Amino acid sequence: MHPSNAVTGDIMAPDPQPSQRQQTAPARRLSPLAGIRADWAAGDRSRLARLLIVALVGITILAFGASVMTGAADASISNLLRWLTGTETAEAALSLRDRIIILDIRLPRAVLGLLVGAALAVSGAVMQGLFRNPLADPGLVGVSAGAGLGAVLTIVLGASVFGPLFALVGIYALPVAAFLGALLTTFLLYRIATRGGQTSVATMLLAGVALAALAGAVTGVLIFVADDKQLRDLTFWGLGSLAGASWAKIAGAAPIILLSLAVVPFLARGLNALTLGEAAAFHMGVPVQRLKTVAVVTVAASTGAAVAVSGGIGFVGIVVPHVLRLLIGPDNRYLLPASALLGGTLLIVADMVARTIVPPAELPIGIITAFAGAPFFLWILLRGRTQMGL
Amino acid sequence: MIEALNVHVRLGSKAVLHDVCLTARAGELTAIVGPNGSGKTTTMKALAGEIACDGRVLIGDDDIRSLKPWQLATRRAVLPQASIISFPFTVREIVRMGLTVGASTTRANGMPADPGLVDRITQDALEAVDLGGFAGRFYQELSGGEQQRVQLARALSQIWEPVRDGRPAFLLLDEPVSSLDIRHQLTIMRLAADYCRRGGGVVAIMHDLNLTAMFADHIVMMKDGRVVEAGPPVSVLTDEMVETVFGCPMRVSALPPAGIPFVLPQTAIL
Repeated sequence: MHPSNAVTGDIMAPDPQPSQRQQTAPARRLSPLAGIRADWAAGDRSRLARLLIVALVGITILAFGASVMTGAADASISNLLRWLTGTETAEAALSLRDRIIILDIRLPRAVLGLLVGAALAVSGAVMQGLFRNPLADPGLVGVSAGAGLGAVLTIVLGASVFGPLFALVGIYALPVAAFLGALLTTFLLYRIATRGGQTSVATMLLAGVALAALAGAVTGVLIFVADDKQLRDLTFWGLGSLAGASWAKIAGAAPIILLSLAVVPFLARGLNALTLGEAAAFHMGVPVQRLKTVAVVTVAASTGAAVAVSGGIGFVGIVVPHVLRLLIGPDNRYLLPASALLGGTLLIVADMVARTIVPPAELPIGIITAFAGAPFFLWILLRGRTQMGL
Repeated sequence: MIEALNVHVRLGSKAVLHDVCLTARAGELTAIVGPNGSGKTTTMKALAGEIACDGRVLIGDDDIRSLKPWQLATRRAVLPQASIISFPFTVREIVRMGLTVGASTTRANGMPADPGLVDRITQDALEAVDLGGFAGRFYQELSGGEQQRVQLARALSQIWEPVRDGRPAFLLLDEPVSSLDIRHQLTIMRLAADYCRRGGGVVAIMHDLNLTAMFADHIVMMKDGRVVEAGPPVSVLTDEMVETVFGCPMRVSALPPAGIPFVLPQTAIL
């Protein structure tokens, strides 16, 4: 039912016993579900949003557990649990093979999936807030391509050209290079698409296409000059996959992603205000320039880190925030944490599908997210054309 | 009081405001009138602290350039011209934005006050603009006039108390009645007048000279980026001024003293 109809419906309904009416008046005495429905009718979705976040925490934990337990090899779960609950030592509970499969293959993979999914979904949500448009997504507008260029540059030229620098930053070389690529693209995109505080959607999408093509061309040149080993690295990386997950990769990407995720809640109110335009946000007391700078750097950092470890996994950043907006509304105070949780869950589940659908081989996860995400994206376009100023 | 002292604004290479001086006092409704392109909105932007300008803009005793955005937000709120949003916020969520970033519901330590107060001000602000039952509606589904009133409720809730800590707050309204029907034009102008009566100040860009004459305490007339005349309605709204500023010769009329019948030719039935 439309919320406004719900309001009038309540008023128009024949009044029950006056005593009953007295009882239902304060919202606190209602059952949680009825309370949420009353809130919804009154345009308040905050309680629903908090409930959904709690539910998502549970779902994420379940998905994480399921991911560690499933796979082509049937490493025994009861044995793992026996070890985890402390009834037996690791050596006694698990065979060496199972221990390696679970601790060194599946666990890092699930952790990486969680991190990358959260990073991609939150980047999408922040970018949509920044551009004030639900179609902005790091994958769609070329930010991922820019990050990819940075990563490819590092893989191909890293050892030779940036040798000393490479040695200095070590495991962070790839994420940092991807971050710089993403930062440059986001910055260019914002300068091109935004004039006087107004962002043109058409310019944003088209500039994204151009920037992605440019980054792709440079990447092509680099692939051309790459040697055989580098080519193999590039191919695996470019498919978009969590297959290469290792604790070393996590050590490189996790600090950047976790730092970005820690910053993002402080952007929520500012991004909400930005919905009404840059001038209105300033009128409401938001330091707009600082907000934009922090948002751009955060998006670039988390997209860069995610792309560096998992290649180009598309559509998470657009699908997740959109689904959540349908459920709990666009308030970034709830949308951003919920996006992190749902994004992580989605990627873990997609990865489970990727590695179990054609055993013992596995599908690149980017293919799965594209199969699910691309039709969804088209559906968004058809459904909301008028609302997005297209 | 808000004061503009010798304000010059250039947009690109074009000088838009020349040496604008104006004073808007607390307790008064100050109307800015003038033809299209005379610099009214730019003046408003300068008063809001939104654009860079030469000269000084004071709110109370403070230069607005010395105040942080969140400090300014506790002293003045702005109703912009039509705003389009691309996310499905409800009316309540929009109005509450004014409260979560504004000052009405924050305590001295910066923590938000109790949610009950937030809900109450949200509801009161919506009722003040005659949108009492609209909290659950989606902003994007409202008509232009309704959206404008939601924005006004949002601005109003940001500085809900006309006087706070002994300092008056100011509502800056850019064409507040431009897309409203006659009844709501009166509702909003009365609301603005009431805000002044309770000690706050209002600066409004107006196009309707009759409404202006009816509600304004002080009129600032602008033309070609300059202030041409300022003062109370009776001294500013004259035949000569209207012709000079708007380039359109018209009669400014006043009702004859009470009790004397008069006849307007437009009422003739042919």
